[in-house]
Amino acid sequence: MEVFGQVLEVLIGGLLSGVLYSLVALGFVLIFKASGVFNFAQGAMVLLAGLALVRSLDFLAARGAPVWAAVILGLVFAGVIMAVTAWLVERFVLGPLVNQDGLTLFMSTIGATFVLEGASQMIFGSDVYPLRLFPTDAWFLFESVFPGGILVNKLDVWGGLIAGVLVAGLAIFFQSTKTGRALRAVADDHAAAQSVGIPISWIWFVVWLVAGLVALVAATVWGTKLGVQFSITFLALKALPVLIIGGFTSVPGAIVGGLIVGAGEKLAEVYLGPHMGGGIEYWFAYVLALAVLLVRPQGLFGERLIERI
Amino acid sequence: MKADVEPRPGAASLKEAGEVLLSVEGVSLSFGGVRALRDVSFDIRKGEIRAIIGPNGAGKTSMLNVINGFYHPQQGVITFKGKRRHDMRPYLAASQGIARTFQNVALFKGMSTLDNIMTGRTLKMRRGILAQAIYWGVSQREEIRHREAVEHIIDFLEIKHIRKTPVGKLPYGLQKRVELGRALATEPDLLLLDEPMAGMNLEEKQDMSRFILTVNDTFSTTIALIEHDMGVVMDLSDRVVVLDYGQKIADGRPDEVQKDQKVIDAYLGIPH
Repeated sequence: MEVFGQVLEVLIGGLLSGVLYSLVALGFVLIFKASGVFNFAQGAMVLLAGLALVRSLDFLAARGAPVWAAVILGLVFAGVIMAVTAWLVERFVLGPLVNQDGLTLFMSTIGATFVLEGASQMIFGSDVYPLRLFPTDAWFLFESVFPGGILVNKLDVWGGLIAGVLVAGLAIFFQSTKTGRALRAVADDHAAAQSVGIPISWIWFVVWLVAGLVALVAATVWGTKLGVQFSITFLALKALPVLIIGGFTSVPGAIVGGLIVGAGEKLAEVYLGPHMGGGIEYWFAYVLALAVLLVRPQGLFGERLIERI
Repeated sequence: MKADVEPRPGAASLKEAGEVLLSVEGVSLSFGGVRALRDVSFDIRKGEIRAIIGPNGAGKTSMLNVINGFYHPQQGVITFKGKRRHDMRPYLAASQGIARTFQNVALFKGMSTLDNIMTGRTLKMRRGILAQAIYWGVSQREEIRHREAVEHIIDFLEIKHIRKTPVGKLPYGLQKRVELGRALATEPDLLLLDEPMAGMNLEEKQDMSRFILTVNDTFSTTIALIEHDMGVVMDLSDRVVVLDYGQKIADGRPDEVQKDQKVIDAYLGIPH
């Protein structure tokens, strides 16, 4: 019974932290589905959103603003910063590249990454800033069944809830509104989209705005977990295996991929770690992704590409 | 769609004297050393079907791209609905009522037939991004209203059975029909069709001809089409303009153009 309790605890902890990976992966999938661009800058956008939020919170708190007002104003400020970023990216990076190949657009987002990372730290500072938006203590469940109970992090549960609401909302937006349809249209064919009067620059702005807001949500959760700091950009690297496993074009794929990676690396760390010298958590996801690439290159939920020759 | 518009009596006579909807004057377009269009001038009258023909590489598609703003000519003037412009922009063209289809079907392949045609309603839908983000309420009602218009088009083009099918999976002939549907959904005043019948079998061609004629008659939509099938061109069009090596070599009624020696030479080659 004790062993079972431990497995359950590791599994739940892993699944919930996996949801947090999904949150970052979601930003990638959205942009990729909507514009055909693999946005390398998503990690940098999480950093920027987090810094904007935490620094404005500190600023307001220092001037004695009540907590609820500071949080609302801070979120609005960070949202505005992400909107400005979206506009700048569209205007100066993507705008001149209409009708270009997807790979060209991808390269341009790598450039944008460095600019965003540099600029956000230049403006908001480069220390580690603690963020306290969500409770970070834990629940102990089923104490009567298992000795010591099962530890569940409250923050992880919050993350899971937020991710769920976000996915549901975005699914409706993308499936059944004019702008959602226009987004998918632009991803498929620039010229055809222009011919029916879809304004491409506006659509790209919306895509980056949505990705920026998803980054902001991810930053609230991850910032609470790790503190807002430069290493938060490495989350983008953790999102890669999640995307490969789930499939680049699938929102459910990002969720399931995150769960698999989260649970997999925690279980591997606890049960394989002692036999292999530990540290498995850091590379397990990539090995898993490699295996998926060999067997099912499009990922578990990805669309299979059939090329006509 | 303007479904309530009755077919106009005496449409043919009206076309004869019809006012000019679009005219291009002295349009020249070159890509580096390649001169795609040289000093081309012609007009399209309200309500007519205007064919643009010519051998491969004559500049027909370039001409359409100039009209809907994908290409910007180095010289020339484009007058649409009485407004003279040096060049068009795609968004401007679409919002002024120019719709088009493409030579190599340009549909949104991952989307269903219904969604593809719905994109044609983009400019007609007025609700802002915030209302759309909330979705319930005004935005949903607007969706439903435009959905109705799109269903009419789907009925008209007889593609009901493929409403929910991703268009990438459809055979070529049906894709062309969906593309026409998307253009019609914008309720255009001028419809540009780039080889609407390329790669179709006889039956599909007949269907497409029927749709084109009905659109022209019932909705009084002006149509400019590029087509290689001479039988189709002669049957459908009111007037024909012929391009060869980027220059206009003939312009007139189909039967006149057919007899024109320059046109025959361009198509069959001149003995040296």
